[in-house]
Amino acid sequence: MAAPEQLAPPEGCKPLSALLNGIAQAAYYGNADITEELLRGQLYPEAAPEEFRALRAKMGGLLQSIASADMDLNQLEAFLTAQTKKQGGITPDQAAVIAKFWKNHRIKIHESLINQSRWDNVLKNMNWRVDLKSQSRHIDQINTPVAIVEMELGKNGQESEFLCLEFDEAKVSQMLKKLSEIEESMTLLTQTT
Amino acid sequence: AADKINLIPQDFFAELCEQIIQHLNHKIPGVNTAELCQRIQTSGIEINVGDLAKIVNIISFLFSTAASNNLSTEELITTLGNAVTALPKHAVQVIRHVWNEQGKSISVSEDARSMATVGQFVDIKWKLGVAMSSDTCRSLKYPYVTVTLKVADPSGQITDKSFEMTVPQFKNFYRQFKEMAAVLETV
Repeated sequence: MAAPEQLAPPEGCKPLSALLNGIAQAAYYGNADITEELLRGQLYPEAAPEEFRALRAKMGGLLQSIASADMDLNQLEAFLTAQTKKQGGITPDQAAVIAKFWKNHRIKIHESLINQSRWDNVLKNMNWRVDLKSQSRHIDQINTPVAIVEMELGKNGQESEFLCLEFDEAKVSQMLKKLSEIEESMTLLTQTT
Repeated sequence: AADKINLIPQDFFAELCEQIIQHLNHKIPGVNTAELCQRIQTSGIEINVGDLAKIVNIISFLFSTAASNNLSTEELITTLGNAVTALPKHAVQVIRHVWNEQGKSISVSEDARSMATVGQFVDIKWKLGVAMSSDTCRSLKYPYVTVTLKVADPSGQITDKSFEMTVPQFKNFYRQFKEMAAVLETV
């Protein structure tokens, strides 16, 4: 039985790169249609199912380790070099393909992992307009402008709740004051990490 | 839910009616139903927020109808007797007292119906955190801010709405409010 790393056909990179893509589609981009059978048929038609399974598992495992540690280029190089020296590891060619793949997909995969860990309500969308109040509870409020803000809240993948709120100038100022506090804290945080 | 009024002790019921009248008089943005419910529960009474919210709605409706019809205290008590059966005596006393003191000053707004779908922003609380790692990713390291908006819904009940924003989402949120402020100033 051919060892998994010898399944890469002479033209080298293409099937492996496509395989990594297929793995990422299923694991990180939520594309459930990319099955193992589909990948094998498209990319490694000559391979036996068990061999392909082993290859896919190995590549999937490597990608998972890299993604989980969100490796930078230095870490990636060290990691892949170690893998090429291992018994039953990867070839330098395969290492190059994986490295190229990670460089191109790192940000997107990381974002996907972030989204997978957001389980509370998020702000999905926000719209607003400014109205001029022509009728009012208080005489002094006639012809004052108010902002009507619509916020779409909800958990990822679940139905949204639409929150519709009214803000007069004072309330917007109050909001801005608090938002500026948040921004200050955020800046401090990103400076120290 | 109306029969749950029986459960509420007199002083809490008085506080409830006070808040309702103050809300109708536009002195406060809304009734702090959740907070009041918690205090009632702490004193040993079993009542849930949903029931208390219904009671607030009933009394609120009662007062605002009475205001638009310019009912005297006696007329209000009679209407009450027709609308809500078997109200405990102390509740009737509270309503009578509250209406006597402040009922006349309620001005009924015509835009009450047009405002029916819009809530009022009351306050905002926030906290900043960093998600370090998760079961699917050991090195997440992303900062996010959790915000809780205190809002008075159209019926006058104050509720909290919480949600999270990542840094880019927050920056966008902030930018939108700055734009709002700019537009409000120029209109």
